[in-house]
This record gives sequence, C-alpha cells and structure tokens, in this order.
Amino acid sequence: MSFRDILNSGKFAVTAEIGPPKGTDIKEMLHHMEILRGKIDAANITDNQSAVMRISSIAVCKLALENGLEPILQMTCRDRNRIGLQADLLGAYVLGIRNVLCMTGDHVSAGDHKQAKPVYDVESVQLLKIVDGMNNGKDMAGNDLKGATDYFQGAVVTPESNPIEPQLMKFEKKVKAGAKFFQTQAIYDIEKFKTFMAHARQSNVKIMAGIVVLKSAGMANFMNNFVPGIKVPQNLIDELKAAGKEKALDTGLNIAARHIKQLKDEKICDGVHIMAIGMEDKVPTIMERAGLL
Amino acid sequence: MIATKKREFKDLMENIKDYKSFFLVGCSECASLCGTGGEPELAELKETLEKEGKTVTGTFRAKTGCQVLGTKVELKPFKEQLDKTDVVIVMSCGAGTQAAVEIFPDKPVYQSNDTMFLANMTRYQMFDERCSLCGECILDETGGICPVTACPKGLLNGPCGGTNDGNCEVSPDIKCCWVRIYERLNKINRLDDMKKTREAKDWSKSQKPRALVARTKEEKKK
Ligand code: SF4
Ligand code: SF4
Repeated sequence: MSFRDILNSGKFAVTAEIGPPKGTDIKEMLHHMEILRGKIDAANITDNQSAVMRISSIAVCKLALENGLEPILQMTCRDRNRIGLQADLLGAYVLGIRNVLCMTGDHVSAGDHKQAKPVYDVESVQLLKIVDGMNNGKDMAGNDLKGATDYFQGAVVTPESNPIEPQLMKFEKKVKAGAKFFQTQAIYDIEKFKTFMAHARQSNVKIMAGIVVLKSAGMANFMNNFVPGIKVPQNLIDELKAAGKEKALDTGLNIAARHIKQLKDEKICDGVHIMAIGMEDKVPTIMERAGLL
Repeated sequence: MIATKKREFKDLMENIKDYKSFFLVGCSECASLCGTGGEPELAELKETLEKEGKTVTGTFRAKTGCQVLGTKVELKPFKEQLDKTDVVIVMSCGAGTQAAVEIFPDKPVYQSNDTMFLANMTRYQMFDERCSLCGECILDETGGICPVTACPKGLLNGPCGGTNDGNCEVSPDIKCCWVRIYERLNKINRLDDMKKTREAKDWSKSQKPRALVARTKEEKKK
C-alpha cells in the first residue's frame, strides 16, 4: 500500500527521516535505507536541511525508490523561485515521486553558505497552492500543463509554539491551500499535544506527530534552550538523568517508543514521523519497542 | 531616509591612491543624519586626505545630493576649485554618487560610503529598516507592519515554525514580525486580516531599473 493509501485507510502510519549526505559517498545512506526498507511506510528526504548544502532531495528520493523505500520529497522555498520549484515538482513527478512536503525552510543564516541570497519567492502556504494547482493541471500562472501531477501533499506545523494562535491560523491556511497531511515538530508533552489535536481534528487532514529521540538530559536541555517550538517536560529530563550516562540513550529510545505506543493506542493522531538525526539504525529498535514491528 | 555607513578609509585610499587633488561633496539630508556626509565628516576627510599628502581643492555640502539639477546649480560657484580637481569624492548614498557622475562626466567620482537601506531613524543615529521598496504595498493588510521587510524570509501568511517564544528564528533579539502583526491586529480588532491567505507577491512590480514620472501632462509641457 502506498503511504497515501495507508494514511487514508486509517492505519497508523510511520515515517522516518533520511538526510542526504554532503558529498558523493552514499554508502552509509544506502545502508540506512536498507535498514528501514519494509519497516516504515515512507521516508522523508530532507532538502538541504538547516540550510546546509547536501545532495539534492530529488536525486535521493529517486535512490530511495530504487532501493524499495517510498519517498516523501521535502521541498523548501529557500533555494528556488517559483519557476524552479514548479520545474522540480514536474521533474520529481516523472521520476515516480508522489509525496511532497511543502515547507518554507530554514534561513540561509543557519547554514554553511551564509553569504547565499535566500529566495523565498513563495512560502509554504503558496507552495501548497502551487501543488494543488498542478494536481489540477495548471501551473501557478494558470497555464495548462501537458499532463497533471497527482501529488499527495503535506506540510509541517509546530503545535508547541508560543504564542500558538498565529501558528494555528497558519495551519488553517495550509489546510485551505490543500495540505492533506501534516508532520509536526517534535512532541514530548502528549497532554498538550491533545489540545492541538482537538483543534486539528476539526479539519479533514491527517496528523503525524514528530518524534525526536532524546539522547541525554543535556540534549533535552539544549533543545529547550535553543530549538524553537520544542519543550521537553522536566519529568522526561529527570528520567534521562536518573538513567545515568550509559543508559541515557536506551532510556531515550524507550521514551520515544512509549510515546509512539500511547499515540497509537489512544488514537491521538494518525501516525508518527521519527527524526533520528544520524541514528537511523535505531529506528527499528524504537518501532519494535513500540509494538509496531 | 537612506542609511549609509562610512567605508574603511584604507579602501577609499586604495581607489584614489594615484590621484592628487580632491573635491569633497557631502549631503545635507540623509548622509548628514547618518554622520557620513555632514560638515564634521567633510572636515574630517579633508584633514585625513591632507595628512596623506593630498590636496583638497574644496568641500561642499549639497542640499539634496540625489537631486541632479539642483546640485548642479549649487556647484556653479565652485567652478574654479573644480577645474583644479582630479577627483570628486561623494560622501552620501549611491544615488548622490551617481548624481555627481552625471554632473561631472569627465572626472572620476568615488564614494566614501556604503549604501545600506531605506531607514527609519528611531533614535538619534539609530536606524531600522522598515520598507524594502517592493513596489506594491501591503501594509493595509498587515496592520501597518511590513513582513516583506521585517521578516527575514519575507513571509506573507504568518510565522514560520522557527519563532521562539515570540522572537525571530533568524534574529533572536528581535520579535517575530508575525507575532507583532498578530498582537497589533488583535488589539485593533482586525484579526480577520491575518486569516486571509495572501497570494505570492508580484515581483514584476520591482523589476529594475525602475523609473517614475510624477508630473502631470500639463506640467511636463512647461
Ligand atoms: S509592503 Fe513593505 S516593502 Fe512593500 S512598499 Fe509596503 S512597506 Fe515597503
Ligand atoms: S520567526 Fe517570524 S520574523 Fe523570523 S523568519 Fe520566522 S516568521 Fe519571519
């Protein structure tokens, strides 16, 4: 079943992230693809994540397809104007890529080419509208396409952002612009997430909770201080601390698995998106412990 | 006004090292307020150049350095000094420099400043960029706060996921402009403006170089 069919059928979907490497040595990445093949429902291929230049997302999506993984093309508005974005959307489609995640993208000042000119000709909401238009056979300027796309398009949302109202308004705009599924920023406070879900359930879209594995109490504190829109509750930090250095990662995997299990068992959302950030090989462990494998 | 910043003197020196005599042109408007082209700066550059063994044939502060015809008329009394001058150094924005290029077609013109942005002076010699001259203003839809300029990503439909406790992902010491827009629209009961989806901007409105004729037909005939 395709990723789209799985989400639409109401089955709990699992996606994970694969970051293209910087350089032409793709051995490790292919190894990660092999580990994840047959286990996850689709793999997000990041697009110059954190504005750090890497192999193009489309090329790696194609490699994912060849290696038996269904890709979700992450597409940011940072590096291409509306002509480039549409050309790439058409190009990806004819290569067999069917899922696209539309995002604005981290600013170049966060990355490794700080002198670059950021583009942002359009932004996430408008990119979603572009995809919707192409699915209906039209480019952004209203010209007919010789052959439409049939993308399953998604977007991102940060349910723990403060203040939340502007984020929710943007979420609504993304729904209106045609987003069919959402992957969220990392979720650690399930009770708070339920409040967001109560809001999100008013719209007919699928929501996948973002899961980022905590490797240590230090990492949790770092995220609280420096990563926007992420709040790790104190009880989880205490739990990691109590585990001690040696068992911290294992505890982090347990926390991720526990959260996934709760999200699934209580039918809080429609799936999870696991961001292992360099630990792709641990994704199956998490899934096993969550009872998904 | 236009914000300008003094260039390193050594960079200016590098450009003009082969010349001997200079005429300095400042500007009474923006460059004076920025401290880059007023009387004190004219005097300072004159002194520095003379210390380097150069001759300064004269200094002059234009009323409005970017006004080509007016500046040309104002410069008439300086003819003698200008005749003895190898190079004109302009201490204003790039527009002022190019006005001088037009006025002195036969002389090299160099500038002493970098031109930064269209600025609001918020306090004495403190400048903020509030408008990036996009050619089609959307302030009436955004509570009078410009996201094209105040958001580093120029987002038109609300904050990115990076806003952190109301601050901007890119410049953590300033508030996210979409949080400011939200708070303002909320205060003036116009939150509906925020819910509207804005289309992608029409950048053809800012295609360079731009020109504008603000005169009526009758005026043009005169
Ligand atoms: S929208 Fe912003 S950049 Fe454009 S004209 Fe208005 S204030 Fe200036
Ligand atoms: S935090 Fe706000 S102002 Fe900063 S880039 Fe994001 S949307 Fe723009």
